[in-house]
Order: sequence, then structure tokens, then C-alpha cells
Amino acid sequence: MSDAVAERPTPIVSRSDPRFEVTLYRHVGIEDAWTLDYYLGHSGYAAARRSLTTMTASEVVNEVKASGLRGRGGAGFPTGVKWSFMPKADGRQRFIVCNADESEPGSCKDRYIMEDDPHQLIEGMIIGGYAIGATLGVLYVRGEYYLAYERLERAIEEARANGYLGKNLFGSGFDFDLILHRGAGAYICGEETALMNSYEGLRATPRLKPPFPAQAGVYGLPTTINNVTSLASAVHIMERGAAWFSAMGTDDSKGFHHVQLSGPVAKPGIYEVPMGISYREIIFEVGGGPTMPAKAFIPGGTSCPMFPFTDEYLDTLMEYASVAKKGSMLGTGGLILIPQEKCMVDAMYNIVRFYAHESCGKCTPCREGVATWLPQMYRKLLEGLGTPADLKLMEEMVRNMRGTAFCPLADACAMPVQASFKFFRPEYEYLVEHGHSQYPKSDWWQE
Amino acid sequence: MVELETVAPFFADRQELLAEILGRYPEYGRRSALMPLLWEVQRAERFVSEARVGEIAEILGLHATEVRGVMSFYSTYHDHPVGRYHLKICSTLSCSLAGSDELYDYLAEELGIVNGETDAQGRFSIQKVECLGSCTTAPVLQVNDTFYERLGRSRCASLIEALRKGAPPEPWRERGGDAAGSASGHSGPAQDEQQRGTE
Amino acid sequence: MKVTVNDTTLELKPGTSVIDALFAAGFDVPYFCSQEYMSPIGACRMCLARVGAPRKGPDGEWIADEETGEPKVFYFPNLMATCTTMVMEGMVVDTLAEDVVSAQNGMVEFTLINHPLDCPVCDKGGACELQDRAYEYGTGLSRFQFDKRHLEKHAALSELITLDQERCIHCKRCVRYFEEVPGDEVLDFIDRGGHTYIDSVEDGLPSNFTGNITDICPVGALLDTTSRFRGRNWEYDHTRTTSLDDASGSAIVVDARTGRIERIKAGLNAQVNKIWIDDGTRFGHEYVDAPDRLREPLVRRGDRLVPTTWEEAAGFIAERLAAVDSKQVGIVLRADATLEEGIAAKALAEHLGTGKCDHFPRSPASLLAGSNPATLEELATADAIFVIGDPTEEVPIVDLRIKDALKGVPSPELMPHGVPIADLRLKERMSRNGEMLTVAAPYRVDLMKHAGSSMLYPLGAEARLIGALQQVAEGRPEEKVGEETGLTAQQARGLVERLRGGKKAVVVYGANVIASREASEAVLAFARAVGAKTMALPAMANSYGLEAIDVLPSHARYGYPGLLDGEARALILSNLNPGANSHYAEKLRELELLVVHSSFPDETTDLAHVVLPAKTGYEKEGTVVNLEGRALPLFSAPVDGGGSEDFTGLVKRLGVALGNRLEGRSVRSARRVLKRLLDIDPASLPPEGELLGPRTRGSSRVSVRAAERAQGNLLLVPSMIRHEYLSRNPHLLAAHGETPLRLNPFDAARLKLSEGDVVVVPVDGVDRRAGVCISEAVPAGLPLLPALPDQPAGPAVAQFEVLRKERLALEVA
Repeated sequence: MSDAVAERPTPIVSRSDPRFEVTLYRHVGIEDAWTLDYYLGHSGYAAARRSLTTMTASEVVNEVKASGLRGRGGAGFPTGVKWSFMPKADGRQRFIVCNADESEPGSCKDRYIMEDDPHQLIEGMIIGGYAIGATLGVLYVRGEYYLAYERLERAIEEARANGYLGKNLFGSGFDFDLILHRGAGAYICGEETALMNSYEGLRATPRLKPPFPAQAGVYGLPTTINNVTSLASAVHIMERGAAWFSAMGTDDSKGFHHVQLSGPVAKPGIYEVPMGISYREIIFEVGGGPTMPAKAFIPGGTSCPMFPFTDEYLDTLMEYASVAKKGSMLGTGGLILIPQEKCMVDAMYNIVRFYAHESCGKCTPCREGVATWLPQMYRKLLEGLGTPADLKLMEEMVRNMRGTAFCPLADACAMPVQASFKFFRPEYEYLVEHGHSQYPKSDWWQE
Repeated sequence: MVELETVAPFFADRQELLAEILGRYPEYGRRSALMPLLWEVQRAERFVSEARVGEIAEILGLHATEVRGVMSFYSTYHDHPVGRYHLKICSTLSCSLAGSDELYDYLAEELGIVNGETDAQGRFSIQKVECLGSCTTAPVLQVNDTFYERLGRSRCASLIEALRKGAPPEPWRERGGDAAGSASGHSGPAQDEQQRGTE
Repeated sequence: MKVTVNDTTLELKPGTSVIDALFAAGFDVPYFCSQEYMSPIGACRMCLARVGAPRKGPDGEWIADEETGEPKVFYFPNLMATCTTMVMEGMVVDTLAEDVVSAQNGMVEFTLINHPLDCPVCDKGGACELQDRAYEYGTGLSRFQFDKRHLEKHAALSELITLDQERCIHCKRCVRYFEEVPGDEVLDFIDRGGHTYIDSVEDGLPSNFTGNITDICPVGALLDTTSRFRGRNWEYDHTRTTSLDDASGSAIVVDARTGRIERIKAGLNAQVNKIWIDDGTRFGHEYVDAPDRLREPLVRRGDRLVPTTWEEAAGFIAERLAAVDSKQVGIVLRADATLEEGIAAKALAEHLGTGKCDHFPRSPASLLAGSNPATLEELATADAIFVIGDPTEEVPIVDLRIKDALKGVPSPELMPHGVPIADLRLKERMSRNGEMLTVAAPYRVDLMKHAGSSMLYPLGAEARLIGALQQVAEGRPEEKVGEETGLTAQQARGLVERLRGGKKAVVVYGANVIASREASEAVLAFARAVGAKTMALPAMANSYGLEAIDVLPSHARYGYPGLLDGEARALILSNLNPGANSHYAEKLRELELLVVHSSFPDETTDLAHVVLPAKTGYEKEGTVVNLEGRALPLFSAPVDGGGSEDFTGLVKRLGVALGNRLEGRSVRSARRVLKRLLDIDPASLPPEGELLGPRTRGSSRVSVRAAERAQGNLLLVPSMIRHEYLSRNPHLLAAHGETPLRLNPFDAARLKLSEGDVVVVPVDGVDRRAGVCISEAVPAGLPLLPALPDQPAGPAVAQFEVLRKERLALEVA
């Protein structure tokens, strides 16, 4: 199959391309799609069966590598490469962990897969487990997603009762079972080592790397952690081949992504789109355009620096390299539109407050900067008490938070703040000068 | 609220449940049962008291301080009783842009309590929380474990009314984007009305 | 590995952390979270530096810089926390660059925003890492304009430790310490983010090793309550010496001011206690300054003891000695007397021509004979350990060193700047190989929590237990294994295999084995059979040393109990209190001369003809030998002991009166003898001490055996706390309560006792006052009571029928 990659036809980079079809989300929104019956009726577990019975583990890893799938949790690390990091089997228990602690503001793509198509995820975990030689999987679901937890619980029971989990799957001799674990409200658990600590019943502070999870993950055993969407994508890569996947997107970014459109847009929602689509197409054609004048958009969840709502940025392609070149990140695909009428300082305070609430408190710049000082500075500004010196102080403070913290959470807060200073400094200055924002608070609550 | 020290152990008559939870994890990972045990207690008692912290510590062979340290790290475990309906208002950016600040003001006024408070009857408590993962269907209100999405003004009013009667409605199914096979990918207000009618 | 720090290039071992590289190169960075002997975590972000290293290309060659042709240095995109970064070949570290300095300024500023800056009223002021680092690496300005975080201040974490949550800078040293070192996780972070604080919900920090957190706290958040508001750090005289609290020979630093000990801190001895001490050692010093301290000699005039001078007292003694047959004079030292005092005692005995010279407590069997003794370092790197006893209470450092062994990480090699700051082999929450540890005791002991297997055997069954193991080791039928020994055949085989399979196995045995000659000999034979080294846990600080230099009677009858029971007509006792025993008190009254060298009045000084004030262990200069046979120096702290003298001083004064310059008349003269006796020069011992040579180590000198008892209705047990001083140590008393009489609920019910009752019960003729503690962990029918120097560990007879309740616990309504 990987031969086909070389002579790939023109890639699909637009959602309006007739060759594009919705894959991961095809069952989302359908009643009872979460049942085993429904799933089996739609070629469920066929990919896992095929992988386990006709391919070796390294063939599965190579197929996913060839597809060019990159982790959909935000960081974009190639999934197949990650799988190949697992050490040689040495008799120790290995784990595949699914990071379903989706908490990045603007993101909700994993939730619907778990709620409406849990078997797809279970199948993805079986394939991932087989690929890395893990007979145990851990599904760490964020605590607030109770419906997802319930559906997964029942789906796992069903799968177990019908031989899709347990001993000797599909007669392949491969055993695999899942541990479903519920979080309890901590964004930091999205960081893989914090998630492992949380799963082990510890405070969810990130661990030192190295050792990386592949060497010492949960319980100190070899572990690979993947995002929900990455694992679900693997199902379809194994079903249709790497070439099918890599026929979508660009050289840099293969396959599809899930754009989660929110803010004042005509059709907010989650859209599966090929990589390489432009933000203009997403906002105007897929999302139906802004419902009020916009001044900025956040491309991939609040930790990604915002873009001004200008042609230059709207024409940026949604792929890892292009977005990075413009100074932001693809992230989780949570696209938030910020209207002209929203005070940017207030919007940033909202974002900063989130990271302040979610800082784990382990390291100094995050605990004292992100969680304590910066939000107080924003409150001071918004109360109309700020001075020009405060703006300088904030910029310096944020610079001290960049790249100095233990884990990326402080950067996730610092980078958007820096972007807001870069693009919207006049709004800060207006606020300081006049003691109030040029965009007064208005009622956003709809009927 | 006076708490009796001599309260019976929570898991004393729930040995099967306890065994089931402990059995989920490998033997060397017994401590993983900590969060599920906290969940069980909170589900039944709406908060986790000091006595329960001590009990869980004993079950897992830990010090109570460790259990307290873990429990206090997470924002959804309560160390004091919350209302029968614990309302969590997402106030992060997407919801804020969809009116969650006003939604909060409305609830605070309507219920006569503010963030972190429980009403005198122990019926309602409200808490402003950070992103609940319902950004495309903002604003969202989580009542105990249930999401009520795209909670417009009138939906909110009827939800509170229903909760006051002790009859929480089935949540309406909101799936943005490509969901539900709808071409527009969007369940518009008209559809909402329709769905609500059937509930 | 070649590493360049700023302008200095040096060779380092692989695995070294960058922070140690730059300290080794003579540079400095600030740090708060790193701590010697603990895992580096990279939390405080103070030690940032610009770090780069060359890379190898796909061809395996170094990628060259195009201009210079030298390997090109690729810098990490961010500044790196040097404590958690490992050195690489050709690494380049820059600690002086502008961005590094600015980041350090920034981190200091962040760290200080919530710190109260109440330095003028903080005990840590002047010895505070934050103060120093803020001064060195901060800008001197704070731009923080808001209210600081308000949390609990001066909260009693226990009776011994005061917590100020506002001063805490979240370095996590204390939290990590409890997990990594003693393994008692009684302190943790609560809440998260900017609200994080340290606290405990455990009552009074239940661990024997809580005080170390006050040493490692970089700020004034955790303070030693005994020294709170007693003085500023620069006002203290710091005397590094050796603790006489137990047989470990732990290094301590005695901080004294105006003649009074204000606090004890742990000293560094990389071979012995690293930087940790137990709470008994740390907090048990207040007695030194107790109001009833004897500060001048007393001599009996009729019914009364009246103050006198040393000269008069010595003259009085010399006069009386002339009247007794000098062969009838007995001289007994407590077993924490120094080697020098032992030499003095021997010289005096020799001068008098008496063989009645002894030390007490003393084990029935030799501590030295027939053993293949392990050092503490060997224990800490052992691969199989069998413990019979309770190290946590007997010699607490042994407990910690055993826990080191479970981690399997040997102590780090010292670097030019001392102990490595960040030992990257250590991790948070490391897995412990508990399977390598087996603990046996007649009752449940703390170390069992960490052991892969434990055995509870019946009291007095030590010899049988070891005998059964010996059978298994020799491959003979396992007939002795069974209920009587509390041992199953499977356990026995597993243990023997583990010890035999270990390349570095150690058998540790404590008071219950030492109390029986048969068991002591059996354990040595068993260790030989399985190829293990041994470590005995002696009762007191210099038990090993006093045996090694033969402070022993010439005949078994002339041992301390024999001397008390009529074998002597005159007695010179140092720091012993036989008068508490009603039987011995009668015998003491019959003596022609009773000289008591003691720091405090007690039942025996009441009976004495002459009372001579004794220096405490903190005031002495001298040498002791710890349980591994390591000679360690004692230095005298400037403590006001009035006219107190140690035993060499006593002998000097007495020698003058007797008209003879005795060999042990001073520490210096005693050391001349010691140099001949042992292969060491006590006058020039290095701070970490020196192991005695093979001539003394492991050789037997004991020909005389002490009495032993196998049966009783109560077990006297070793304790981390020195109960003879407990009533004069108010903080320790408040923290740990009265000397506990620990009872099974069944026994408590039988004796109609409730938790908290204070009772007086005669134990082997001594009225013992104790607080009742009821615990399921104590076996039924075997109450436990802490031992005293005059009532060493072992079975005893308690007359519960005449038990008197002194104070009743308040009934909880």
C-alpha cells in the first residue's frame, strides 16, 4: 500500500472536493450509533480484525507511519513514529493510554466520538495496543464528560461480552483489555506525564522527562499515549490504507482535521475537513461566515496565539508548517472567532484566567506568574487602574514565563498574551489611557 | 452542618462495589483506585468528608494527607456539601462569547446564591467553572453530570423551573457541525424547538 | 566527558548533572528545589542556563561548524534547568549570558511576590537561602503591587515543627523528603496552582524523622519549635560533633548561644547519616539545661548533700578509698561514655588494683566476636537484608540506610564542591524493591511496612527462629520450622535463598537477639552459613567502643549487676541510676562509699556519699565507636555545665588526691593510650571518622558474660527517644507524650486501663511511670515499655497487680 504513496493524485485540500468524505464523524449525531450492533453493522472492528490477523505489529506501525498521521492532541507528533519508540519487548507489561482528557478551551472533538461512536475508539486502542505490544489499555476520560464515560463503560462491557476485548482477539492470539478511568477536572492532565500521575492516583503534576513514557510510563512501565482522534484515525488508516489517508492534505500535513468552530459564526460546530484547507474557507464556507464583524480568530484552541482577521491570516492554510510560520499552532483545531465588539483585553483575561485556574503549581513561573500575578494585572487593567508602566511590566513578565517553565502550560498562557500585545496593543493602551475599554461590555446571551 | 465522628464506614456495606473498583486495576496499581473511590463517595454523598478521606486512605494503605492532597488537586471533588443540583456554568472564552456571564448573573439572581454557595434548602448550588468542552454548543450549563447545551434564555428559564419541580429534563442532543447527518451540520433553533417538544 | 562552563573546561563522569558540572567548575547558580541526597525535580526554575552541545550527523561524525571546522554547538531553544539536565560530550554551558541573568532576575521576582518578606521576625533570617539568593540574583526591587497570598502562619504541624504556609516557596523539598527518605508520606501539597500549600491531616506528623525538613527548608516555612525565637543564626556557635543519642554515630551540629543549646541540626557524614537524623537525636537536647542540672560537686554531711569543690570532693573520696580494700571498689560507666572516659576508668581501676570495672548496658554476648561486620554503606547497597529487631527505634539511621538499599542507588561520589546537588539517578516516587527485605520481630514494627515479607515470632523464640533458619540453610530437615518460630517452611526457604543468592547480603539484629547469648551466636553462625555480613544494633552510642577497649570486669561475677548485688564495697558510677530499683537501693545503702557521677539528681544520687557533676554528650570532647566500628570524634559545644567534668576530669581530680598522675587523666593522655590500643589516632580523625582496623574490628575480647533473662510478662523495647531524659525534654514530651505502655486491647480491658491513663507500675523493681497506649499492633499478653539504660531491652517482670493509676484519661462523652 505504501507504494501508492509515491504516485498519489492531487491531494484533497478542500472540503468541497467531491472525493472528500466524512470519516471519523460519520456516526456522530446518530441515535444508538454507540451500540455494538450499530457499529458492527457499519463494518465495525473490521480494521482491527484485519490488522491483528493478517499483519505483524511492525507492519501496523509502518502503515501508520506511512500515512503521515500526526497526533491530534495539539502537539502534532507523528503517531507511527511515537509507536516505534517503544523498547523491545522484555516481558514487562506495556500500556497504551488514550488521552481523552480533552480540556483545551475551544476543543470538543473527542467528546462526540466517545459519546456517539465509542467502539471506534475502542477499535483504535486495540490496533494501537497491537502495534506497540500492549495488552492493556487505559482510557483516561476527563471527569466532566460523564455521558462519554457512561457510553464507553457500556461499550467496553459490550465489547468484552462479545469477544472484542479480552483474550485471543479475532483468533489472533493477541489479548487486549481496557481500563476506563475517569478524571476529575484538571486541564494539566492533558499533559501526558501529568495524566499518568493522575491515573496512578497521584497529584497530576507533570513528570520529569526523560524518562519518556516509552521507557517508564504508567507504573514505570513502557507506555504510549495517544489522543482520541489519533487512535480513531488509525482505525480508518488500517481499513483503507495509508495512501488513502495521505491523499488528503498537504506534504506537511496529511489527512483530515476536526475544526471546532465557536464564537459568533453562523454555523458553529465540528467539521471534519482535509488538512491544507484555508481558514477563509473554514470560516466563510464551512461555518457560514461571522455573524458580527470579527477582529481575530484563534486557530487551534486558546493556547495557540491568535491571528488578526485579515486577508493575510485568513488565507493561511490549515497545516502545521504554514500556521507555525505565521507564529501560531495548529493545536487541537478549536477555532474561536473573536468579534470586533469584544474587548481584547477582556478576552485575554478570560484566557489567562483559565490557565491561572489550571496551573498545577509545581514550578515558579507558572505558579507565581500564570496563576497569580498575570491575572491580577489583567484585573487591574480592566478595573481601569492600569498605567503604561503596567503594560511594560506585563510584557516583561510574560517574557520571563516563556520557555522557563517546567511544562508547556506557562507557554500556552504566555504565547497568546504576547500575540495580543503584538496585534492589539492599541486596545491595551486605550484602556490604560481612558480607564475603560473602547468596547463596552454588552449582553451576549441569545434567546 | 454537624458531622458525627461515628459515621459508619461508607464501603462497609458496599464490599462488592469496592472489590469491583479495586479489581479494575492491576495489583501493583492499587493506588489508581483512589479517584474512582472518591467519585463513588461523592456520587452518593455529594461531597467527600474528612472521615471518608480517612476511610479511603485506609483502604488503599495510604496516609490521609496523600488522599487529601490528591482530592484537593482536582476541581470537581467537593470537600463540603453541594446542592442536590450542582450547577456548573462554563465561563471560558467560547461560552463567554455566547453569554455565559449573563447566564451566571441570571442564575445568581434567580436562585439567590453566588458562585460557590449552596441555597438554604440544599437544593441548588452554583459554581463558575472553566471550559467544559462544549465550545461549539455554547453556552453550557452542567447540572450534576448532565450537559445542557446552547442554553438560551428561554431554555434556561424552563430548565430551572423543571429542576425546581425536581424533574430534570432529558438533555437535548446538540451535535454541531457534520453531526446528525444534517447537511447544514447545524441544529438550528427550529430543530431545537422540535426536539424540546418531544422531550 | 568534556564539558565547558563559561570559560572553564573540565572532565566529568557521564550521568553528572549540569548544575554539578558548573559548581565543579567553580561557578554558581541559584537553586531552591534541588537538595543533596534527594531527587532533582526542576521545579523552582532558578538554575536556568544557556546550554548547547554538538550533534552527530547521520554519518556518525560530529557536525562541523562551517567557519571553524570545529564541532558545531547546537543550543537548546530554551534556557535549561541545569539540575535536571545531564552533561553530554562537548557540552557548553553559559551561566553569565544576559538572557540567563535576566531569567534569574525574573525567577527571583516571581518567587518573592508571595513571600511575606518578614525576615526581621523570621528565625531563618541570616541563614535563609531565599534571602541570600534574592540578594545575589535579584534586582532588589519588587514590582508586585497586589496583596500577597494569605495562608496560615505559625501553625503547629506538630509539637516540634512550626509551619508558616506564607513563607513557603513550594520547592517541595519537605514533601519529597517524606516520600523519598523515610517513606512516611505525612506531608503533602494541598490544592493546586497559586493556591498550593503544604499541610498534613495526620495528627502530629507520625514519623520518627520529621525534624530533617527544618534543615532542608530553604526558607523559614518549617522551623524547629524548640529553637523558635531563641536567637539569630549568626549568634549561634555551631559545633559539629557526633551524637550520643544512639549507636549510629550520626553527625550533628550543636547550635549554642550564651551557654545554652538552642537547637541541634543534622551534620553531614556521607558514610553514616548523610544529612539526616531522627527526631530523638534532634529534639532531645533540652534536658541539658534543665533547672535541676547538677553543676557542682556535692558531699554528704550527715543526712544532707552539701555543695563543695572538686578538690574537697576528691580528697573526701581518696580518704574513704584508703579505708576500703581497694580491690573491693567497683567502677561502672554508662555505655555512651567516650573511649577516653573508658581509658580513664580503666586507669583508675588499675591504680586501685581492682578488676571490678564495667560498662552498662552490655550485651551477654560480644558485639565484636565472630562477626563479619557490614558498614552502613554496605548496608545501604545490600541486595538482600534480613532484620531481626526494630531498627527504626533502635538505631533509626539504620532504618533509613535500609530504605536506601531498597532503592538500589548507591550513595553518590563526592565532587569538588561536596555532595552532588542533583543526583540524576534519584527519581521522585522511585520503585522500591521491598522483596529484598525481610523483617522479623516479636511485635509489629514500623519497618515491616516496607518489607516484602515479615515474621512475627513469639517472645524469646529468637534462638529457635534462627536455629530453624540454620537448618534450612544447611539443607537439614525443617523440623524446627513451625508455629513455635512463627515461620513457615516456605518463608524460611525463600529467605535463605534470597540471602544466599545475594552478593551483598546483610543480617541486621537488634536488642532482642543481643539480649540472648544463644541467639547472638546463632545469628552469626547463620550469617556465615548464608554468606551474609552482619550488623548488630547495640544499645548505646559507644557499646562497641567500650567493648573494643576492654572496659570489662575481670570476672563474670564482677559485672555491673554483680557489683550492685554485693560484690563491691565501694562504687563509682557514671550516669547510671541503680537506686531506682528498690532491691538495689537497699544494697547501695550498705556500701562504704558510693560516688555518683551524674548530670541530674536521681534516686542514686540521693544515696551517694559524693555526687560529681557530669558533662553531657554535647559538652564532651572524645571519641566513640559506632555500630559499624567507626571511630568518630566528639567536640565540645560551648554549653554552660557549671563545674561538670567528664570521667577523665574526674580521674584527673582523683589522681591528684591519690597522688598519682593516671593515664586517663585528660582526653589527651587517654588518647595516647588509645593510639597504642587501636590503630587510629583519635586526635586527628577526619570528620567522617575512621573504621577501626581489622585488629579490633571483628575480634573477640569479651570473656565475661553478662546475665540474661528469657522470660517475663512485659517486654522492654528500644526507643528512638531516651526516656531517662524525657521528663526534662518538654517539647519531645509534648509531642510524644508520656513514656508509653503499649498494650493490646485485650490486655487493656483485663487491666481496666483506658487510652491516655497515666499509671505507675513496678517493672523489675523499678517504679515505671507510663501513659497507656492501646494498639492492635501489640501482641496480646505482651505489653511493651521503653527500655532505660538501667533497664535494657529484653523481657522483664511487671507487677501489674500493684499498678497505680496516677491520672485518668478524660472520658470522651
